[in-house]
Amino acid sequence: MSELRKDLVSGRWVIIATERSKRPDDFRPGGGTARAAEPGGFCPFCEGNETKTPPEVFALRTAGTAPDTPGWKVRVVPNKFPALNRGTPPPKPAGGIFQSMEGIGVHEVVIENPDHALELSDLPVPHIRDVFRVFQLRIKAIEQELHYQYVQLFKNKGKEAGASLSHPHSQIVATPIVPKRIKEKIYGADRLFRNFKECGFCRILREEAAAGVRQVFLNRHFSVIAPYASRFPFEMAVYPLRHSPFFTDVDEGELLALAETMKQVLTRLKETIGDPPYNMVLHKAPNHLLSLESWPEIERNFHWHLEIFPILTKVAGFEWGTGFYINPVPPETATQFLRQP
Amino acid sequence: MKKNILLVEDEKALCLLYEEELSQEGYAVTAVTDAEAALAELGKTTFDLIITDIRMPGMDGIELITQIMGLRKDIPIIINSAYQSYKEDFMTWAADAYVVKSASLDELKSKVKHLLGD
Repeated sequence: MSELRKDLVSGRWVIIATERSKRPDDFRPGGGTARAAEPGGFCPFCEGNETKTPPEVFALRTAGTAPDTPGWKVRVVPNKFPALNRGTPPPKPAGGIFQSMEGIGVHEVVIENPDHALELSDLPVPHIRDVFRVFQLRIKAIEQELHYQYVQLFKNKGKEAGASLSHPHSQIVATPIVPKRIKEKIYGADRLFRNFKECGFCRILREEAAAGVRQVFLNRHFSVIAPYASRFPFEMAVYPLRHSPFFTDVDEGELLALAETMKQVLTRLKETIGDPPYNMVLHKAPNHLLSLESWPEIERNFHWHLEIFPILTKVAGFEWGTGFYINPVPPETATQFLRQP
Repeated sequence: MKKNILLVEDEKALCLLYEEELSQEGYAVTAVTDAEAALAELGKTTFDLIITDIRMPGMDGIELITQIMGLRKDIPIIINSAYQSYKEDFMTWAADAYVVKSASLDELKSKVKHLLGD
């Protein structure tokens, strides 16, 4: 029997359609891995092709190597054709029912490693830690510019997830406003704090640890759960055990534990479903240098986390029309498969 | 000596227009209407610059660029497309310029001159 489930934080309802339940093999992509070489074998992100990207804004590279030359480990470049351009945010126009503002912002690409064929989960743990360290450094640097209320980190892996190039990369987009989805999460977190008299995410983590049926992975600093009201098959959320709204607060020890966590869960996803396309998004508090006035209780109420959505089903008319998601794999079933080492 | 431009454009009328306009600017233009013919020309002649459309029957312009980059990385390439949307495809970064087609050829000519150092 199907079940309606409400996500505590967003208030969104999800249909867990157990009668449509499928096994992991049902989702295996037909053509094997999604990591085909680019046609012709050329890739602008590969080592040696640095002149094909805009000049790097940051790189972890071997001592003595010059910017925009080979010898890098993680490289960050501005998007050549950015969705938003850097600039000073103009004041918000007043009056009228239709509001608009200039599309200023930052759009950067983080090339996670020089090797086209090595996906994030294939990298050694210290390299994954370095990738996440670069995410932190770039978010910190962009927030210092004081123009951008929110910095969104995301990764599209595979064509179906929106990636146009298979060379492993992530993207960072900073916006002058806090996006609606983040606001909804903050309001949800505020509501949960009022209800529980503690951070709602910390409470969820405690409940999930006690229930034990949706906890995919746990180490000394992180817990990975298949959310109770998962919208998508094999959806996962990665939470730090230490309460903090800011991803940039993660310390060295936690960064290494995060890398170990990501290695584990992405490898399990790959082995369980067969290297599916996925999206990964970071949800964190808005720029703390700007947001404390607007969100005075953010430090107490919000808890940063990563969400991973394998792209195994299509969001179609019913989902778009109603906001309901139909998930054919209960998170408890997904957890059983994902737990297997 | 005239600089050689390889022009890849599947719409014959546009192909003629670009060929004539660029010839008037003093360039030697070899015009072809599909990617396969472009690759064949590249095997025969040394070009200083390539201008290619994206949406073409058969091999598209992005695949053509990757094929060219596999052969030679030193020839500047201009994407000349009616569509902005291909800018979202990171493979277009392999080109040195991206021009969105318009009634005026000023931007295209300006990019050609810039990339050829004229």
